[in-house]
Amino acid sequence: MRIINFVGYRKWWYLLSGVVIVAGMISFGFRGLNLGIDFKGGNLFEIEFEKPLTVHEIRGSLEKIGFGDAIIQQVGTADHYVIKTNLLTKEQKEKVKGELQQLEAKKFLRDESVTPKFGQKLTWDAVKALGISLIAILIYITIRFEFRIAVAAIIELIHDTLVFIGIYSISFREVTTSTVAAYLTILGYSLMDSIVIFDRIRENKNVLRKLPFDEVVNSSINQTLARSINTTLATLIPVICLLVIGGDTLKDFAFALTIGVLSGAYSSIFNGSQIIVSWNRVSPKYKVSSK
Amino acid sequence: MGKKKKKMSSTKTVFERAGTVDVEKGYKITKVGVKKRRYTVTFILVLVVVAAAIYFIYPPQESTKLGLDLRGGTRVILTAKDITGEGITEEKMAKAVGIIESRIDSLGISEPEINRVIGSGSIIIQMPNITDPQAAIDIIGKTAQLEFRIVEGINDDGSYKLGPVLMTGDMLKGAQAGYDNSGKVIVSMEFTSEGQQKFYEVTSANVGKNLAIVLDNKVESAPVIQAAIRGNAVIENIDTLEEAKSIALVLKTGALPMTFDVEDVRVIGSTLGPDSLTAGLYAGLIGIALVIIFMIIYYRGLGMVAFFSLIVYIVLFWGLLVWIKAALTLPGIAGMILTIGMAVDANIIVYERMKEEIRKGRLPRTAMTEGFRHGWRTILDANVTTLITAGILFYFGTGPIRGFALTLSLGVIISMLTAFIFTRALLELVIDRKIFEKPGFIGARKLVADK
Repeated sequence: MRIINFVGYRKWWYLLSGVVIVAGMISFGFRGLNLGIDFKGGNLFEIEFEKPLTVHEIRGSLEKIGFGDAIIQQVGTADHYVIKTNLLTKEQKEKVKGELQQLEAKKFLRDESVTPKFGQKLTWDAVKALGISLIAILIYITIRFEFRIAVAAIIELIHDTLVFIGIYSISFREVTTSTVAAYLTILGYSLMDSIVIFDRIRENKNVLRKLPFDEVVNSSINQTLARSINTTLATLIPVICLLVIGGDTLKDFAFALTIGVLSGAYSSIFNGSQIIVSWNRVSPKYKVSSK
Repeated sequence: MGKKKKKMSSTKTVFERAGTVDVEKGYKITKVGVKKRRYTVTFILVLVVVAAAIYFIYPPQESTKLGLDLRGGTRVILTAKDITGEGITEEKMAKAVGIIESRIDSLGISEPEINRVIGSGSIIIQMPNITDPQAAIDIIGKTAQLEFRIVEGINDDGSYKLGPVLMTGDMLKGAQAGYDNSGKVIVSMEFTSEGQQKFYEVTSANVGKNLAIVLDNKVESAPVIQAAIRGNAVIENIDTLEEAKSIALVLKTGALPMTFDVEDVRVIGSTLGPDSLTAGLYAGLIGIALVIIFMIIYYRGLGMVAFFSLIVYIVLFWGLLVWIKAALTLPGIAGMILTIGMAVDANIIVYERMKEEIRKGRLPRTAMTEGFRHGWRTILDANVTTLITAGILFYFGTGPIRGFALTLSLGVIISMLTAFIFTRALLELVIDRKIFEKPGFIGARKLVADK
């Protein structure tokens, strides 16, 4: 079998990750994220109209009653829109709905309202869930493997998180509670990949005691490579099906899952185990070179 | 690469050789026979469970409970406001849930679901098929604090100056909307016996004064007390019978112990759901088919084993969801689709290990034993992290997100069980067939030549 030198090029892999992350963070710094009403609070209507309309026409109508600042997005066909406003009172909502009826709204597919306070609670819950997940994972991996590997896993997760945030900022896709759920799932999934590699390193470390650690890690990555690729494919295939033919909500999920699976697979092979190698170079715990 | 296993394999080799002899000469050494029988039993048991699952699922349209986002309806989240400063106690929340339940019941809404969010003052109410919920929300969320107070004068702004609260709504036995003799809309209230006594005391002590009937800090009516009354009280000045009916309903079901804010209202039209469900199902089916094709192309015979395992996994998973009456939601579908990859992963981990062992010159049976021996720990470690995050998600999530976390956790657990029990048994039963000795049959092309 051909052995690919993953470890030797690790600085390039770090660089690639760095470029993607920096690009994402620049975008994030400038325009932030497109937070949905789940997090900001507000009202959302998804409407199917009797006839095709333009964003301009809808905005014109809403402007008349003082809601010209609403976010109006076309969904699929030209008679299908999502309209988002700040939180409306009962009377304001009646007014907006009345105006939309004037435009011959056929069906209200969704009609949602969230108070900003509740939105903040959801945001806080998400952050809390993330923090606790990271700590729990750190503890679990330390117990099952070792502390260094746990730290590498956490760095990987932070990598995936930054890539995720960056891509959401660049693509400016809406972030909803579903996005957060998908992201948290991907955290677990992304680790699956890494753990398979770590597991092999743990096994090989004892068998290949004479070899330098770099080589142990590199053969471990190579030995598990087929598995990494195949599992990533087997996960991506259905997720991409969902991305292509799922409805809007499912597409949102699928988009998040796709980024997560790809970023997770990348960070497992190109970051996680490389970090342990770099760490071992700086402060050796295992044999550094064969001399 | 080839040499690395030497130390570990020394004990295995003996077993391997023994196995070889048995199989090739067709002997049936008791130990192997017993093992075989055990796996046959396991295999049959799994098939029985699968059959039971199919029985549960069939017919799928009826057995599978759909979440709100798939069938359409309304979800409302109410959160308690602590205005009295007494805190949001467990007791008050339980009482509030009880009252909300009876209000929803009185409204005649079918299949509602009322849940508390763990560790918070929030209540999630799901009302399938309700797509114009405003009237219902107004009633459900109304505090309905009824008070009887004496009018002590008129403020400068024309409002009543009210005395202390003399009686509250908890002394009511019932309330009914109707018309009085002159045809005006009223709500007549019936007191409990204690309430009748109290009402008599209040009215007899205040003859000639105005008695204000206050609902949620709004004076509904303030009639003059003509004489001491032993019977019932009436709220007047109501515009419509509809309004009277909602007042009667909230009075009958009692006042909520706290004021609630309507924090989140989601109405999903009844067409959006089925469309998403169909799309999700197609995506799932096509995804599964493609994964199976991929597995068969890559792993050949082993791919077929993965194929059966995946089918068993899906049937068991679905059966379990039906059994525990978990509602299928959009996030749930996404979770299910993600677990396909995870379920297949258990197979891939074992197969890749088998191929490695076969390349080292091992026989299929030994390779398989090794595959599972090394694989199960990897699979366990890899899945536990997913379970950890899913568990945390379940704890902190609301509504559909929890559905997602639950689906994901169940999927992960069942996929592991399927791999360790079913895939193992199936492989044990077929691995000794001659065809497995052909490397091409398990997708290991280069093989022994390596050695």
